[in-house]
This record gives sequence, structure tokens and C-alpha cells, in this order.
Amino acid sequence: MAAREPLLKIEDLWVSVEGKDILKGVNLTINPGEVHAIMGRNGSGKSTLSYTLMGHPRYQITGGSIIFKGEEIGELPPNERAKKGLALAFQYPVAIPGVSVSNFLRASVKAVRGKDIPVKEFRQELKAQMALLEVKDEFLSRYINDGFSGGEKKRLEILQMTLLKPALAVLDETDSGLDIDALKVVSTGINTLATKETAVLLITHYQRILNYVKPDFVHVFQSGQIVKTGGSELSEELEARGYDWVTQELTPSGVA
Amino acid sequence: MKTIAKERVDEITKQTAEPAWLKDSRLKAFESYLKTPTPCNRDENWHRTEVDSLDLTTLNVIVSDSKEVKAGKEPDVIAAALAHLGKQLPFIYTTPQSVEIGNADSALLSKGVIFCSLKTALTQHADLLNKYLSSGDLSTPDFAHNDKFYLMNQSLFNCGAFFYVPKNVILESPVLNVFTSGEESSIAVFPRVIIIVEDGAKAEFVNISTSARKTATDNTALSLINSSIETVVGQGATLSYLDVSDFSDNTFAVSRVYNEVKRDASLHSSTIALGGWQIKSDIQTNLKEPGAKSDIRGVVLGAGSERYSFNTIQDHIAPDTSSTINFRVALKDSSSSAYLGTIRVSKQGQRTDSTQSNKNLLLGANAHADSIPKLEILADDVKCSHGATVGPADKEQIFYLMSRGLNNLEAEELIVTGFFRQVVQSCPVDGAGDWINNLVAEKILSSKKA
Ligand SMILES: Nc1ncnc2c1ncn2[C@@H]1O[C@H](COP(=O)(O)OP(=O)(O)OP(=O)(O)O)[C@@H](O)[C@H]1O
Ligand SMILES: [Mg+2]
Repeated sequence: MAAREPLLKIEDLWVSVEGKDILKGVNLTINPGEVHAIMGRNGSGKSTLSYTLMGHPRYQITGGSIIFKGEEIGELPPNERAKKGLALAFQYPVAIPGVSVSNFLRASVKAVRGKDIPVKEFRQELKAQMALLEVKDEFLSRYINDGFSGGEKKRLEILQMTLLKPALAVLDETDSGLDIDALKVVSTGINTLATKETAVLLITHYQRILNYVKPDFVHVFQSGQIVKTGGSELSEELEARGYDWVTQELTPSGVA
Repeated sequence: MKTIAKERVDEITKQTAEPAWLKDSRLKAFESYLKTPTPCNRDENWHRTEVDSLDLTTLNVIVSDSKEVKAGKEPDVIAAALAHLGKQLPFIYTTPQSVEIGNADSALLSKGVIFCSLKTALTQHADLLNKYLSSGDLSTPDFAHNDKFYLMNQSLFNCGAFFYVPKNVILESPVLNVFTSGEESSIAVFPRVIIIVEDGAKAEFVNISTSARKTATDNTALSLINSSIETVVGQGATLSYLDVSDFSDNTFAVSRVYNEVKRDASLHSSTIALGGWQIKSDIQTNLKEPGAKSDIRGVVLGAGSERYSFNTIQDHIAPDTSSTINFRVALKDSSSSAYLGTIRVSKQGQRTDSTQSNKNLLLGANAHADSIPKLEILADDVKCSHGATVGPADKEQIFYLMSRGLNNLEAEELIVTGFFRQVVQSCPVDGAGDWINNLVAEKILSSKKA
């Protein structure tokens, strides 16, 4: 059987912020179209991983490699990564007053696809995705995330993912802070996103979302590393037993 | 700074066959000019402008005696403006060599509206002009008494425009006055623009000033564009004034704007400054009678080593007047800006309502902005507020936009147009918002990557 080329291959990745090591040897391989979930305690380094993947200048890679579509991307600026098919839905999307959502979406889609889309065609596509995610028309003329509620911001993030159709969408706690209805809507969005063409890396604290979106793999993140990997049953076990269970299991105290 | 010789004034008065009263007024201004000290960096108002290197003796004072001719093909700068503001708008296009008139509108003429070059006005409407110039009304701004550059303009003005809107005439679209120094360098030009909107009238005026090409900084070939703009807004009248300037790196552009706003009149004024070696601009608005209102806005986009200095003065002379000021400055590279905003309320100026806001966005690592509010309030029943901010561009915003595919400059462009939006979008001149956004985008996207 010929081995498929992985979409993303992270090897022994070390990352520091302001001189402090946050990621300490992350290994992760994602194949095209797969859904991976990452769970882990607050402060364990999940967002650091997502920012590093997207190329935030604050995060310094001090070791290891990130190979995306066969190319080392560690040195690429964020926009080049986006054009290569990587996208990040932010845990805390920033507001940009004065910049309307519709202007921005069009500029973004144009930049990522590398060509201008006729206004009418773009409108149609946008309207279809907005209907799916139950985003009201008025959001288009509002400024990016300016005065948006937490849930509204998350919807806009997912909307952008479905428009950009990346090869890998990293969703950093897109399910946090949503009411039950919004969670269903956002899950529908994630499911439309997760196709053969789009792999998803879902960072979450909740088993809930995994009832809607079935992951192929679940990883447990701890102190800047992936310490355990399993199937979707792992998330249920985590929900029932907490992270301490993983920690204890990893402590070699019972070794004879 | 080396000064100009009296012969320059004599030359002008001789060559242009002006009425005697004007010659007198030029000579009077020249006398004051000689007595007025050259500004220096110690002056609060001038401390970010460099005047020492300006040698007026080497500059070629343009004395164009050219007659108005009908415009041929519209120059690009006008075509771009008309595309946004309205294809058929009347315009005057002044260069050091010629004065062209385009889209002359006979409907305006039949309403008694005058829109012509200042030279034409001085021959065909001399009495009307004299009525305003000698009324004393226009001699009240601060800079009429102490500013060397203003006095220089008043004695040497050699081109410009006159716009006169009679009583109760309502105009729904603007006229354009366009000046370009072309590709000339080492020249001194003194444009003067006079706008009179009579009682109950309503009008819009767009003033565009440019140089043809952006050249590399070359101080030996410096040019001086020293303009004066005077507006009178009559009782119950409304004037919307939009000023767009974009000069080359070897232009020192000084401008003095004086607005006089009468009873229940409204003035909207937007100034968009997009380039030049140094821009030094004073805008004084006198709210002379009760009910007078002014809304002064500014947008400055600096790059390279450009220096901007804006000084606004709101003078609340009468009771029950109101004013708002909103200036937004974005600075790339090592450009700099100094904003000085004065709100003055006389003893009689009870129930004045005035707000002033100046925000500065620093995009370049070496960019610098100062913001100095000054309140001189003598009345006791007034509402005055002012606020200023200076801060760098938000890196998280840039990262957010770049993560969605935009490159550094595209991200910057969205952030800057967003930052300007509040000031630009409500400009009363139709189509101006999009036009200004385009000009801003052009300047940012054409700049080198940081
Ligand atoms: N700019 C920074 N300066 C200093 N420390 C930082 C910075 N960014 C992240 N850290 C630290 O790195 C660690 C990991 O943070 P990160 O945001 O990646 O955690 P997380 O797993 O996403 O947590 P959460 O579940 O709360 O979102 C934390 O201890 C955090 O304080
Ligand atoms: Mg996080």
C-alpha cells in the first residue's frame, strides 16, 4: 500500500514566548480530510500551537519542524500559509473598528483564492453560507467583531472557514461560550467544513461538540506536549475521569 | 530662511494690471511681511516644521499671465475625482503655465453663481471682490497679524479661484478647483481661493492641490506652495468644503484657511493631506454670530519622512455657537505630525458647545505624533470637550487580517481606511468617501513593504 503524503506533519516542535518554553516537543500528523480533536487543561499550550501553526510573530520556533503539504512553513508569513490552505478560527477574535465584514470577507477570499470573484457570484456564495450558519444580513455592514457577542464572533469565524475552504482548519475553542442552539448551528458548520478536502483540528474543552462532530483521533495536551492519543472514545473517558487520570497513568509509579 | 525682495511684489502688480486698491493691499501686506519675524522651531506652532533651509531668493516666483482657456482632455487627477464626484462637474485647472476651464455650467451662470480664476475675478468682478476684501471681515484671523507665510501670500498671490453663490441659491453638487505645480521644481506659487456663500445659499467646493510626480527628496530643488483659502458663510447658509492635497517629496506646502461663519450658518470642512515634504496648515474658524456651526475634519496619511503640522483654531465669538473637530492621523515609516487644536471662547460666547478629537495611529516604528489641545475660555456657561490619543497599530489586528490571506500592506490599508472611516464617511460631498478611501489605499499599497 502506497503511503499517502500527510497534510501536516509536526515533528518535535519547540516554541517559546518571551524566552519561556511553552511547547516542548509536539508531534502530530494529520492526513487530508481527517478530524482531530485536542483536549487539555487551561494553559497547557493549545492556543500556542494554533498561533504557531498560523505564524504569529510572537511565537518563536526554537526547535523541530512544521511540514504542511510537503513544505516547511515555519518561516512563511501568515498570509502565505493562508494561501497554502491553512486557516485558524481564533479563540478570541479581535475587533477591527471601521472595517466592514463584507469588505473584509471579499478581500480575504480574493487573496486566498488568488483571483477576484465577481461581486454577484460572491454575494450568492456568501448568502448561502450565511443562511446555513444563521448569520443575519446586518452583520455584513457591521465592523469586524466590533461589539459582537461571544457567540456572534464564533459564528463569524466559522463562516470564514466555510468560505475559505482550507485544506486544514484549526478551530481553537470555536465551541466555547455558545448557547445550545448556537452550538448546533456551529456544529453543522464544522460538519459542512469537514469534507474529504478539508481536515479539521478541533481544540475543545467539551465532549459535547464531539457528539456532533465525530473525530478520527483525540489527543490529550499537557504541559506543551501531546501525551496521549486515542479514538473518539478517549474524549468520553476524559469527560468521565478528568485529566488527572491521564497524568496518573503517565506517572511510572506502578512499575515493578 | 532668506526672504523675498520688494521687486517681486512690484513685478506682480505690474504684470497683472490690477486695480489700484489691490496694489495697495499687496504693498501693505508686504510691509507687514518685512516686519514679521520668520518663524522658528521654538514657536509652539512651528516646532515640528523646518524653515531654516528654505531660501526664497532662489525660488522662481511664477507669474502666470495666462488667460483662461477651455480644457482639452481632462488630466488624470481631475478624471479620478470626477469619476467619484460626478462626471459633469465644473472645474478650474491651474498649472504654472495655464488656466483651463472645464464643464462650464450655464445653469450656474443663470443663477448668478460665479466660478472663475482669481485673475478673471479681479478684472470682471473687481467691485464685488473688493466689497469682501475691504470689509475688514477677512482680516480677523490670527495669522493675518503675525504669520509671515500668510502675509507673503497676501502680497504675492498669483493664481487661485473665486466662487460666489448669491442669496438663497441652492447648489446640490460641488465645483472643483484643481491646482498642480506640475513637474516644475524650485518654484514658489501663491494660490488664493475666495469662497463667498451669501445668506440662505447652499454650496459645495472641492479644492485639489498636487504636484505631478513624486521625486526623491532633493532639497536643492525645493518648491514652495503657499496658499490662502478664505470662506464666508452668510446667514443661514451652508458650505461644504473638501480639500485634498498630495504633493511631491520636494514640496513645502503652507496653507492658511480662514472660515467666517455667520448667524445660523453651517460650515463643513474636510482636509485630506496625503503627501509633501512638509505640510504646514492653519485652519481658523470664526463663529461670528449666534447659531453659527462648524464641523472641521482632517485626515492625514504620512509616509517616508514627511512632516505634517496642523493647527486648528475655533473662535467662538458670539453666544450659542457650536463646533466639532475630528482629526485623524496615520503615520508610516518615519513620518511625523504635530496637531495643535485651540478652542477659544470669548466673554460673550455663552452656551458654546465645542468638541475636539485628535487620534493618531503610528504604523511606522519611527513615526512620531504630538497632539496639543489648547483651551482659552472666557465665558462661564460653556460645554467643551477635547480628547487625543497616540498609539501604535494593533499587532493582533494585523495578524488577524494576514491570517486570512491579506499581505502586510493590504492589512495596513484596511486598518487605516477603517481608522479614517468615521471622519471620511460622513463627508457631505456625495461620492467623496469612496474617492478618499481610494486615494488612501493607493498611497499605502504603492509604498514599499515595511
Ligand atoms: N504572550 C505571552 N506571554 C507570556 N506567556 C504567554 C503568552 N502567551 C501564552 N503564554 C503562556 O503560555 C501558556 C500556554 O498558553 P495557551 O494560551 O497556549 O494555553 P491554552 O492551552 O490555549 O489554554 P486555554 O485552554 O485556557 O485556552 C500559558 O501559561 C500562558 O500564560
Ligand atoms: Mg487557548
